[in-house]
Amino acid sequence: METIRAVVQVLSTVVIVAVIVGFPFYGILKRVPVYEAFVEGGKEGFQIVIRIIPYMVGILAAMAMFRASGAMDFLIEGLRPLLRIVAIPPEIIPMAITRPLTSAGSIGVLSDMIKTYGTSSTFVKMAAVIFGSSETTFYVIAVYFGSVNVTKVRHAVAAGLVAEGAAIISSIYLVKFMYS
Amino acid sequence: MLNYIWAGLIVCSLVFALTRDVNDMRRDTYRNGAALPVKITLDSPADAEKPSQAVHVVIDPAAYRSFYHVDDTPAESYPATLTKTSHHAELRFPADATFPKPLARIRDSTTPDDDRRLAAEVLMLNKIDPTTMTAGLKFAPVRFQTMADIANAAMIAAKDGVMKVALPLIGVMAFWLGITRIGERAGLIAMFTKLVRPILRPLFPEVPPNHPAMGFMALNLTANILGMGNAATPTGLKAMEELQTLNPKKDTATNAMVMLLAMHASSIQLLPPAMVIAVMGLRATNELLMPIWLASAFGLMMGIIAAKVFGLLPGYQRTDPNRVQAGAEVQLTEGQ
Repeated sequence: METIRAVVQVLSTVVIVAVIVGFPFYGILKRVPVYEAFVEGGKEGFQIVIRIIPYMVGILAAMAMFRASGAMDFLIEGLRPLLRIVAIPPEIIPMAITRPLTSAGSIGVLSDMIKTYGTSSTFVKMAAVIFGSSETTFYVIAVYFGSVNVTKVRHAVAAGLVAEGAAIISSIYLVKFMYS
Repeated sequence: MLNYIWAGLIVCSLVFALTRDVNDMRRDTYRNGAALPVKITLDSPADAEKPSQAVHVVIDPAAYRSFYHVDDTPAESYPATLTKTSHHAELRFPADATFPKPLARIRDSTTPDDDRRLAAEVLMLNKIDPTTMTAGLKFAPVRFQTMADIANAAMIAAKDGVMKVALPLIGVMAFWLGITRIGERAGLIAMFTKLVRPILRPLFPEVPPNHPAMGFMALNLTANILGMGNAATPTGLKAMEELQTLNPKKDTATNAMVMLLAMHASSIQLLPPAMVIAVMGLRATNELLMPIWLASAFGLMMGIIAAKVFGLLPGYQRTDPNRVQAGAEVQLTEGQ
């Protein structure tokens, strides 16, 4: 386990450094105006964050109220015996519910969890992996089919949820297996 | 759906808060108006006549437990300041004192954020000897505290959501999207598309290999795999448009469309998603890259299997636009 973790650590560092250094280098070779391209992408990053602020504030405020009222503890403790059978921590449930519905909202849930449990907690790692490995399936289905006026989506929702569910559940077990 | 969940969170908070507050009132958790028996010792007897004296407050654990009906135990003694006027005595605990359960909450709810010194009215002050007194402490009443808490929590979360969560994300997001945009402009998506194309063919048997839909789907999935969301959506919508031209029944999804969407729900993430780096930091993301690869690969695999298997179910087979049309043609030829 220790060696696997070390290899993974090196591998992911290499990937990230390769992107940060390699992309501009490759871009220069391809005669791309790299700095202009960077600024153009950067502007978009700025706009993405500004755009998600109202969604995040909405989710963060609702989650904070839910926690402060004691309802979150009630929900988590209520689900614990049920989820113990499948060895899933109930703390992760809010993330699993929000992820298929809203991208900005699930960032809100993730930051709420970071505030409550800290970045190094297993719950937060699980939540981050869930966030990274799955998509807002319902939103994508609505936008993609909406754009071509398809109303009878047949098994799209079912198949999407199977994919999403598989990603979420495997995220939980993978983090559990690798980091706890 | 999201509307109901969101409103549900807020309504649930209200119901829970109200239940807790009513329960607290019914049980008299905070003993509003009652006086907690304590012993006060003067730090130096010479202070006895001064209006403001440094004292130590000793709370008998047994008395505390029976007074508040709790199992928590107070500290051995608390330093405090006793202020006396002709008809009134007040005790103030320092802001950094740590109190057991109901008292801590009384402190939090009766003092402002910038001055956490718990105050108590001193009743029945009785001198036993020059440095020791017995007294009763009456704290400010606490009512509907959880209700106030949820409103407060919402305001703090709204403020922190912008100042501590969203704004710090901007830097990393701008940097990472800037870097990936360079890759995009340098033709990285086009390069990876060549690798993706042959894999797509068996997954979309109804789509002719050289149809533009195939090209857009390859672009879309590559952009997704590389975490270039901005490039993914337009190519995805274009791919849907092209698939629609192959669709004989325009209001019903074809198997190819369902497959594309299923592959979208959890597509392999090769590069770490920008948002995860921005929220978690680079070190933590590094650690999580491996589980993200594995989980997204598993999700993608299950999505493909589900799209294929569900497509074979009789209910969904009957509604398949391609099959319905083929069936209609068969009937037509039989009629002739």
